[in-house]
Amino acid sequence: MSKGDPQILFSFSPELDTDFLRELYVDDFRQAELVFESSLQQLRSEFSLARARFHDGDITGLKKVIHKVKPIFGYVGMNKVQEEYKDFEESCVNARSAADIESGFGLIIGITEQAIQKMETELKRLKQYNTQFL
Amino acid sequence: MKYHSIIVEDLPVAAEFLKKFCEKSGMIEVDQHFLNAEDALRFLNDNVVELIFLDVEMPGASGFDLLDQLIYNPQVILTTSKTEYAYDAFQYNVTDYLKKPFTYQRFLEAIQKVSKKSEQLNGNSDQNHMFIKSDGKLIRLSNEDILYIESMGDYVKFVTPAKKYITHNTIKNLETKVNPQVFMKVHRSYIVNYTKIDDIQENVLFIKGNMIPISKAHKSGVMQKINIL
Repeated sequence: MSKGDPQILFSFSPELDTDFLRELYVDDFRQAELVFESSLQQLRSEFSLARARFHDGDITGLKKVIHKVKPIFGYVGMNKVQEEYKDFEESCVNARSAADIESGFGLIIGITEQAIQKMETELKRLKQYNTQFL
Repeated sequence: MKYHSIIVEDLPVAAEFLKKFCEKSGMIEVDQHFLNAEDALRFLNDNVVELIFLDVEMPGASGFDLLDQLIYNPQVILTTSKTEYAYDAFQYNVTDYLKKPFTYQRFLEAIQKVSKKSEQLNGNSDQNHMFIKSDGKLIRLSNEDILYIESMGDYVKFVTPAKKYITHNTIKNLETKVNPQVFMKVHRSYIVNYTKIDDIQENVLFIKGNMIPISKAHKSGVMQKINIL
């Protein structure tokens, strides 16, 4: 297969919501690459802000960051992570102190780190595909 | 025809995605992107757009706060990651409600609604009268006869030189239905026929001896609309 002849279509990794990603990007894998790249940058930057808000005990501020970050996962086919964020956002609404959400935030940290790894892997695959075929 | 629009969205990836869809459709021109409602409002006070893509929860003022302070009524497509705002969306008479992330197909459906609503509004723009339901009958009121419209909770009062008519409606609903060439909202409880304004003093305007407050949010819009020599 030569460059400019993209008869081999990119397949998103099965651990992602592939049906939704196909519907979202159709066959525009350049856009998918841009969105994955931009999502990663924003997630890294916003998540360090989330950590800072948690350590400061600023639950309202943390809730706002979680709300902002949440849809990012939708764009990269991680709807389950988005649901976890939604649940955690609701926990923040009901929390009276940082201790109330400590274990929940621990879970969110773990989920987010895994999500970042998956996004990095997928971005690498997209870049390879786009360089090779588009 | 291309619709002039702005995007009010604090998540850059969502805004980039939306811009791409707008470009792809060939129907939407994105004039600006704002990360918060305050900056968007400042822009909207000086510029006219036909469509706003509006996130609800943002740092500072919310999307609904922005809608409360708008001095005219462009069409609005809410873009949010929560479905809980559907009721508010209905109350604000928005054209559509997109849950992020949305597909291109779903985006196009929303744009079709914009197009349809725009046709309806343009079709009505030549109207120089309206019918209101009052005292169990439909009464025709000429725009020329209406001095102002005042909110009374779930009712509104149409004030004409000869008579006052009370009807079941809201200012929010009427905002999108009255002819913008003649009427403007000056306060959350008042829409006035600005051709009838006799004088303005600070934050109050007078129409045939009736004193009507001008809210801070609407003041600049009022001053732009009147012809100051």
